[in-house]
Amino acid sequence: MNTLTIEDLKGIVAHISRIVDRSREHLIEIDGQIGDGDLGITMARGFAAARSETESVADADCGKLLMKVGAALAKAAPSTMGTLLASGFLAGGKAVAGSDALDLSSLAAFFNAFVDGVARRGKAKPGEKTVLDVLSPAAEALASAAAAGEELSAGMERCFDAAREGLVKTRDMIAQHGRPAYYQEQSRGKEDPGAAAGFLVIQGFRDWVVGPRP
Amino acid sequence: MKKFLNAPEHFVDDMLDGIYFAHPDQLAYVADDPRCVVRAGTMPTGKVGLATGGGSGHLPLFLGYVGEGMLDGCSVGGVFQSPSSEQMLNVTRAISRGAGVLYIYGNYGGDIMNFDMAKELASAENIRVEQVVAGEDVASAPKNQAAKRRGVAGIFFVYKCAGAAAAELLNLDEVRRVAEKAAANVRTIGVALAPNIVPEVGKPQFTLAENEMEIGMGIHGEPGIRRGPLRPSDEIVAEMMEPILSDLPFGAGDEVAILVNGLGATPKEELYIVCRKVGLLLKERRIKAYRTYVGEFATSLEMAGASISLLRLDAELKRFLARPARTPFFEQVQL
Repeated sequence: MNTLTIEDLKGIVAHISRIVDRSREHLIEIDGQIGDGDLGITMARGFAAARSETESVADADCGKLLMKVGAALAKAAPSTMGTLLASGFLAGGKAVAGSDALDLSSLAAFFNAFVDGVARRGKAKPGEKTVLDVLSPAAEALASAAAAGEELSAGMERCFDAAREGLVKTRDMIAQHGRPAYYQEQSRGKEDPGAAAGFLVIQGFRDWVVGPRP
Repeated sequence: MKKFLNAPEHFVDDMLDGIYFAHPDQLAYVADDPRCVVRAGTMPTGKVGLATGGGSGHLPLFLGYVGEGMLDGCSVGGVFQSPSSEQMLNVTRAISRGAGVLYIYGNYGGDIMNFDMAKELASAENIRVEQVVAGEDVASAPKNQAAKRRGVAGIFFVYKCAGAAAAELLNLDEVRRVAEKAAANVRTIGVALAPNIVPEVGKPQFTLAENEMEIGMGIHGEPGIRRGPLRPSDEIVAEMMEPILSDLPFGAGDEVAILVNGLGATPKEELYIVCRKVGLLLKERRIKAYRTYVGEFATSLEMAGASISLLRLDAELKRFLARPARTPFFEQVQL
């Protein structure tokens, strides 16, 4: 597989929905420590909606499909994370509008615009213990893999590794945004819940391309 | 969890069914979505539309202040969750009468992002939208980071003053100016005695020992500034009033409106015990109480506790505060 077709993207959205469902309790628990504890609920609801909105799409435009994911998230999961991811999918989808398949460089363009969309909506930048600390290195890894002419699967692995590393790094950060910011020093040592949710999105893409890790 | 529930996931929509049944003369909804609340009846042409929105679990906030002399519309989210930008846009369209729409809402990330999106969508439809974000909880951030403060019960005063200004057909810039002035002159602090339970989560959002309180806790259980053993009410009130009074600051000769607000499970008797000490402390400092509101204005499900808000009045805010209002949760004749 060196490109993602519209059917692949539908499969990825459904897979993200499954992963989020499996992680529902984990997300509730980590969000309950420094957030308001509903992240698992809103993410599960949002991606279930995205899945049902996209599975019957007949149009072959990958960008439109990804924008549809954003619109579904915005509607079904208007929580902070839902809205941020919605803004990401909307901006990312717009960047690849008109493509009937995504190769590694268009996937990199998608995630690059995704990161911009999230940063703009959340008025945040990397290093502030947010989902950007997962998404931004993930997008950069994709871009450098694309620039090096790597295969899609190799690029996706690099992206996933960068995302995971980014997620771990959020533990050492002090939250600057949203409810976790009220915990200041106490937020140190804890993974950012939003970053954990963003990681599941990257995992969904990676698993689809490379196959689930054992 | 011991609640009147049919199913946790139906909590908000079942509540709304009841609201529309009880107040058919005052509330209606648009876009075939009960979460898009507007005033029943007609709105005069040329009036600025006032909209708010926010998560459920705080009645009378937010929808309870839709009515005469206050707000024109409200989008309703899940428990402690922002409504969607689409719902906000639907309300915006419905209350737009050519004079623009003002959003007044609390300073929370999810709400800000969605109202920002709704504003962008509305401006694409040539509806001019301005926003006033209320954040007056002195416990939520220091004064030099006031932009980070959470919006809590004091938003009631912003609705009241802006609502009266809009009812007099002031233009959008003027209504916004009044709302901003009210928001800039109100300060609040809360104290929690016992936690709330979000129906879909099913367990208390935080724990407080039998004999513990937390001063400064937010209306979604956000951490406060001090947790400690429960003290006599007068001592708690004195501890709460100090950061409010010194923040603005409120001083001798000022005239204020007071709001002593119950968080959901605290009886009115106790609120009046709190109110008593607020009155004594104001008198000591020669701050004049113009009007005192006591009751539930912004709750957090069944959280036990209270908040105290003070609004410093000038002639203009006083005049707008005194104007009549009639909503499902708040009624006042001309003062």
